[in-house]
Amino acid sequence: MSDQDDKKAFFSRRIDDNMHSLYSVALRLTRNSADAEDLVAEATSRAWSSLDSLEDRDRFRPWMFRILHNCYISDYRKKSVRPAETAYDELSTASDDSEIASLLIHQTDEFLNWWANPEREVFNKLLGNDLLAAIESLPESFRVVVVLINIEGLSYDDAAEVLDVSPGTIRSRMNRGRTLLQKCLWQHAQDAGLVPNCNQMESHS
Amino acid sequence: MTNKPDKPDNLDSDCLEAFDHLYAYLNGELKDPKDINMIEHHLDHCRSCFSRAQIEREINERLKKTSADKTPPSLQNRLKKLIDNF
Repeated sequence: MSDQDDKKAFFSRRIDDNMHSLYSVALRLTRNSADAEDLVAEATSRAWSSLDSLEDRDRFRPWMFRILHNCYISDYRKKSVRPAETAYDELSTASDDSEIASLLIHQTDEFLNWWANPEREVFNKLLGNDLLAAIESLPESFRVVVVLINIEGLSYDDAAEVLDVSPGTIRSRMNRGRTLLQKCLWQHAQDAGLVPNCNQMESHS
Repeated sequence: MTNKPDKPDNLDSDCLEAFDHLYAYLNGELKDPKDINMIEHHLDHCRSCFSRAQIEREINERLKKTSADKTPPSLQNRLKKLIDNF
């Protein structure tokens, strides 16, 4: 087998192994199956073109996720009709410690109490029906961190390499993303009438 | 499981410090034994944070199972053709 055949066989095998994950991440990024397919195809073409830059073949998975994410930024995000999102963590000059503190301190008591003690039946229903919707409603910079780490199982270091940020930024985005996820679930629960609405509670007090 | 002592449901400074490490702890990314001991001690003594951590564990478990979007056959065929032509 020639070097070229060997290279192609390796590439084909690794794309096959990771196709499901690549499509899953692409779908969470684009929120659209047709765009997700185009994104995976484009990333596959670019990856083949730059395969010689992959120094350690055992690092194919994070390397491929990085190419996918770069393709998304360069080709898809700019044509999105969704409004630009605030880069929460870039706006803040606070340290990670005070970031999570300020985020939690500003939540309502009703939300914090619910988080500490939700009705099990309500919570199970939310996890069954609304978790993916809650993920998709997260701002992109938090959504991609939660998807890469909690769904695809990447380490913080690998996620940092994929997104070209520091591990500290990943940690900060994870803290904020998961706190926002809880707020989204709380909002879903309120909208579905599963927990008392804050406004209703205030108007009755 | 022993009963966790009651405390106000809002967060005090110990809760905030523990929370800063909570997701790294649950994601297996907390390496310093001092940090691990601190958060485990707090979760043992704070009913609210113990409960929140349990919820976050359940969300972690559920998220691992959500990567179930089937790869469309159209994408499988498209990538196969693409790679065949490289």
